[in-house]
Amino acid sequence: MAALFSGAPPQGGPGYSFKQTPTMAPSGERQHGFYPYTDNGGSTLGISGADFTIMAGDTRSTSGYNINTRYAPKLFKIGGEGPDNKGARIVLSVVGFAADGDALKERLDTIVKMYKYQHGKPMSVSACAQRLSHVLYNKRFFPYYVHAILGGIDEDGKGALYSYDPVGSYEREQCRAAGAAASLIMPFLDNQVNFKNQYEPGSGTGHDLQAKVAQPLPRDTVESIVRDAFTSAVERHIEVGDGLQMMIITPNGVEETFTPLKRD
Amino acid sequence: MFIARSEYDRGINTFSPEGRLFQVEYSLEAIKLGSTAIGVATGEGVILGVEKRVTSTLLETSSVEKIVEIDSHIGCAMSGLQADARSMVEHARVESQNHAFNYAEPLRVESCTQAICDLALRFGEGAEGEESIMSRPFGVALLIAGYDEDGPSLYHAEPSGTFYRYDAKAIGSGSEGAQAELQNEFHKSLTLAEAEVLVLKTLKQVMEEKLDSKNVQLASVTKAKGFKIYTDAEMEGVVGRLPTN
Repeated sequence: MAALFSGAPPQGGPGYSFKQTPTMAPSGERQHGFYPYTDNGGSTLGISGADFTIMAGDTRSTSGYNINTRYAPKLFKIGGEGPDNKGARIVLSVVGFAADGDALKERLDTIVKMYKYQHGKPMSVSACAQRLSHVLYNKRFFPYYVHAILGGIDEDGKGALYSYDPVGSYEREQCRAAGAAASLIMPFLDNQVNFKNQYEPGSGTGHDLQAKVAQPLPRDTVESIVRDAFTSAVERHIEVGDGLQMMIITPNGVEETFTPLKRD
Repeated sequence: MFIARSEYDRGINTFSPEGRLFQVEYSLEAIKLGSTAIGVATGEGVILGVEKRVTSTLLETSSVEKIVEIDSHIGCAMSGLQADARSMVEHARVESQNHAFNYAEPLRVESCTQAICDLALRFGEGAEGEESIMSRPFGVALLIAGYDEDGPSLYHAEPSGTFYRYDAKAIGSGSEGAQAELQNEFHKSLTLAEAEVLVLKTLKQVMEEKLDSKNVQLASVTKAKGFKIYTDAEMEGVVGRLPTN
């Protein structure tokens, strides 16, 4: 678990999943091991605004110091129609173990599509958020090794963002960064989105200082915050890079963009 | 008539050459023996009403339970074999709670009705491998009333597994007369209070006993209060508002 959230490069060389050479126990027996998880690096982030939510993730997939591919999306549209999720209004981002992320996305997508057939209406983000929590918790003792973030538009037309731990504990938030560079990006978001450590100019000194009140940011501001967060993360974290995928969810649909990032 | 049908009366899931399932058709007859139940949907909410057949002066009328709660926003009235309704209501309650647990939102009335109807045809010999639970079709029809994001709605579920949405519907022994009365009296702008009176007035016409506050039962489903069964005092209030004739 520690490796999933620490910013440090992986210890002990390339960690292919399942790879564990038999070791000699002090008593002389050969010990075989099986480790079913890998960390595929990368980072994701989500920010919700007044009438939109932006989800973003880099597209690099790593195994230790190797790059598996420069384009492996971590953002998935959930629901809508058909295999390309036409008309979807919910986006799931997953970072951590890519295979688990893929499996999780497939399950949630199926659930959301089935829901529409059963109840004759598209699933709301809040309902999807609750369901995702249960999907994760149902594998409490063999978890999906991912940090999931769910974004969409709520029933009042406001941007909605939910973040999860690997066993389904969740919370609705304004912004969240996850994955390898989460510890680099999150403090930046605290300051730029929630205005932490920012004060009203001229409001006084010491205890008289008035904290700047956070309010939903306009879309272009949020987009540039996302780009800045990722270009900076690429500089400081080896597992982040190659490309930046963004999905902007509005009441009219999901807009998708791709911008190259440094490939070093 | 029974001699002609006997060949196809045995296998519960066997079609007759005319394409009929006799046992299912007979189950619809069982409902016509049941006490009358009426539902009326208005813009404010839905009113359910049933007659309680008080067969003895020694019978404790409060023990006749023909209107039950499924969830805080859905309730149902029944006519026919009440014991059969127990398992349907139990299923609906589980389904409703599961939905709230899984999706943090109330189950829609139509979805609840569909869930109940999914049970209806699980009788007879089970398909390959799976064991069937019921030996015969349900002998009860339900009027399912609820309030969801689309407002108030009323559904009628039959033992055949089909269901329809109604503005006003009567089931049970007095259903023919009652349905005709509803057809005449129903209009889209009924208030809840008017619907209460309409339900009781209609029941009064088709009941064999003289209607009083003990041998009928009302319930309502509204946005503000959800599903509520009327208390004795509330029943007396509505019965008091009935036009005397």
